[in-house]
Amino acid sequence: MRLRVPGLARYKRRVSARVFITGAGVVSSIGLGRASFFHALEAGKSGISKVEAFDKTAEALGRVYAGEIKGFVPRDHLTHAEARRMGRCSQMAVAAARMAVSDSGLTDVDLKGERTAVVIGTTMGEAAVLQGLDHGWIERGASGVKRALLPKYGSTLLSVHIARAVGAEGMVLTLPAACAAGNYAIGFASDLIRSGRADVVITGAAEILEELEFSGFVRLAAMAPERCQPFDLNRQGLILGEGAGLLVLESEAHAVKRNAQVLAEVGGVGITCDGYHITRPHPDATGSIEAMKQAVSRSGITPAEVDFVNAHGTGTRANDQAEAKVMNDVFGARRVPISSMKSTIGHCMGAASAIEAIGCLLTIEKGIYPPTMGYETPDPECNIDVVANVLRRGKADIVLNNSLAFGGYNAVACFAKPGVLPTPPSFASGEA
Amino acid sequence: MRPRAITGLGIVSPLGIGREAYFESLRSGNEANVGRVSTFDGSTYDSPRLAEVPDFDPTTFLGDKGLRTLDRLTKLSVVAARMALHESGIKKDGAFVHYSPERVGFCSSNAYGSLEAITELDRVAQLEDFRYINPAKFPNTVANSASGYVSIWEDLRALNVTISDGNCGGLDAFACADLLLEGGRADAIVVGGAEAMSEALYLAFEKLGALRSSWIGEGASLMTLEPASLAKTRRASVLGNVVGYGTSFVAPTSEAVLLSASATAMARAVRSAIADAKLAGADIDLVVSGVSGMGQFDEKELAGIAEVLGPDAPVAAPKSEVGETLGAGGAMGVAAAVAALNEVYRPKVIHGTPRASLKTVLVTAIGFYGNASALVVQRR
Repeated sequence: MRLRVPGLARYKRRVSARVFITGAGVVSSIGLGRASFFHALEAGKSGISKVEAFDKTAEALGRVYAGEIKGFVPRDHLTHAEARRMGRCSQMAVAAARMAVSDSGLTDVDLKGERTAVVIGTTMGEAAVLQGLDHGWIERGASGVKRALLPKYGSTLLSVHIARAVGAEGMVLTLPAACAAGNYAIGFASDLIRSGRADVVITGAAEILEELEFSGFVRLAAMAPERCQPFDLNRQGLILGEGAGLLVLESEAHAVKRNAQVLAEVGGVGITCDGYHITRPHPDATGSIEAMKQAVSRSGITPAEVDFVNAHGTGTRANDQAEAKVMNDVFGARRVPISSMKSTIGHCMGAASAIEAIGCLLTIEKGIYPPTMGYETPDPECNIDVVANVLRRGKADIVLNNSLAFGGYNAVACFAKPGVLPTPPSFASGEA
Repeated sequence: MRPRAITGLGIVSPLGIGREAYFESLRSGNEANVGRVSTFDGSTYDSPRLAEVPDFDPTTFLGDKGLRTLDRLTKLSVVAARMALHESGIKKDGAFVHYSPERVGFCSSNAYGSLEAITELDRVAQLEDFRYINPAKFPNTVANSASGYVSIWEDLRALNVTISDGNCGGLDAFACADLLLEGGRADAIVVGGAEAMSEALYLAFEKLGALRSSWIGEGASLMTLEPASLAKTRRASVLGNVVGYGTSFVAPTSEAVLLSASATAMARAVRSAIADAKLAGADIDLVVSGVSGMGQFDEKELAGIAEVLGPDAPVAAPKSEVGETLGAGGAMGVAAAVAALNEVYRPKVIHGTPRASLKTVLVTAIGFYGNASALVVQRR
């Protein structure tokens, strides 16, 4: 099922209005690679299981479930030298990047050079590397800090390792943006292409499950004991997850020139900040509403043209009710189907919106809305059309991908079937 | 790049707090107090090679409410952002007088986030129990927490971007802000970088043997950046214009190597920045480099600059005064460039022949993993 864009007789290189997704790679708790991820999403397969990496701590905290990835073997995707110089977060990111590049059909020659950029989102990056360093320090003082481990810490490494793996020599950037990081990266990457600053951008996000962060969410009283049930009246909170979702974004000119497969077009990405509270969403959800409206208007469409929304849907009362408010405000009386993948893969934090963007590709390709599992009793405060427990089929020309994060970070991305969105205006025409 | 006006500079550095104090230190040649430590117990280190922001008391600027759970990175950032917004005239007495909060964004770099917050919670978890970590301090462990708090304290509701690109991040932030302005996502963006001192940060660099001939600094250098046309319309006073940017990444050839620097990447970044500014190499009157006394990185940066601008190009190294401030480093360099362009002081050059008058300054940075960035700043 590959969509192809008819070749254009003429095009101007580097003046590229449209941005296409031409490859996707994913490392998730429900599957590695786009095909197995799609299959699991359709089936509503759950990746949530008992935590193994820090089982004793989890038990002591009274929360033992997470979307932990158990089937990821770094050496299946990386050379020995690569695996050695990377922490687990970079390993997953590079593995997903390799899958995405292979999916896109781009060659080393295509990618080599300054016209290829890398923009990656994350929340904590190589958190486990830092934890290892810290533990040595706490137990044995300065002499317990492993020197060789030091250069492996730093969020910047996610994009650096990917750039090395694919040969990118342009802008190489990591954007930490809490749980909106995936959409932030995709938005920034698409702006780089639209403005002519890059032809190809490897983008997305990666996050690992880590002990301290797991404990923090338990201490914030935000974590459910067993199931994540977004929008359900009896929800008990979020379940954490991990993984990497990577996309190859390409300018229209570049994609057409090589007759590439086009999985979807990236429309507008709306970005706002609440400026309200570090963990709670704004009670009026004004920032989130504005982000969604921006995503729609920057795509050159109206809310009436949106077919489906992939929810942020963390399964916390504050998030779900704020998100329902956003839906009602943006779409009015029209009940646009909405679903949350976090019910099956957990909240993958920085990586969430990137992995879920790949889920949106399934929706666009096959007209399948993945189910929200565990949705049993509708919350009257969430008057929205949740795709409950089994997949639904429907029109899927234009979808939105929500992320409404810590720090009041709101980012909403629009994805569409190629050619459905109106031709975007020149990038800089929006400048005040 | 379309010209972007710097209309306000908020700086908190080892050379002082606020633009006036910083400029005065540069003018009179004051030096940072290397070795004086207040953020941790420095007595276990033999003459520690670091300099903190002297006598940093955030309550002077932010009052004493709501600071208890904030980390140092956040406090440095909020203070600098507040100064930048007020100096630009966008805000007066805490209220917006130009633009609306929905149209003002934040874009700041840090290399290592809040190591202070993470190590503190790690200690509680290891020495006591995971169940005792303070949930109010937990959000500080994410790298964009300081930026998030800036948005809350200063009511900035357009995009809020944190950048992690090591030593280049402080320059990359300007490129990101430029792109975000070009895309119509904001009318003004507070941009720059920040890095906070902590024992973990110091210990890491000492352990790596990186501080034999350099020292670590800290601080925040944040500027209000607007399209030059908008700054002109509102008759803002302009400290300088950012007119060009370039960046490149070149991987090391050996698979076994992680830390590396590339003269080729530096040369490409310089070339692209000058081209982006529609200038020629001869137009560069001064290079404010990121040279900090760290062996191979300095050599490659200087070699890359010389490859494009020739061996006689005047190169300054203000990190000898403010220290290696990592994620803030590039933005500290831009602040030094602004000072030089406004004839506050004449930076000492480490080689080349200084020019009589300064109109165009190139600020450079080189990363620890093969990346390099460059930014062109001009007199207003």
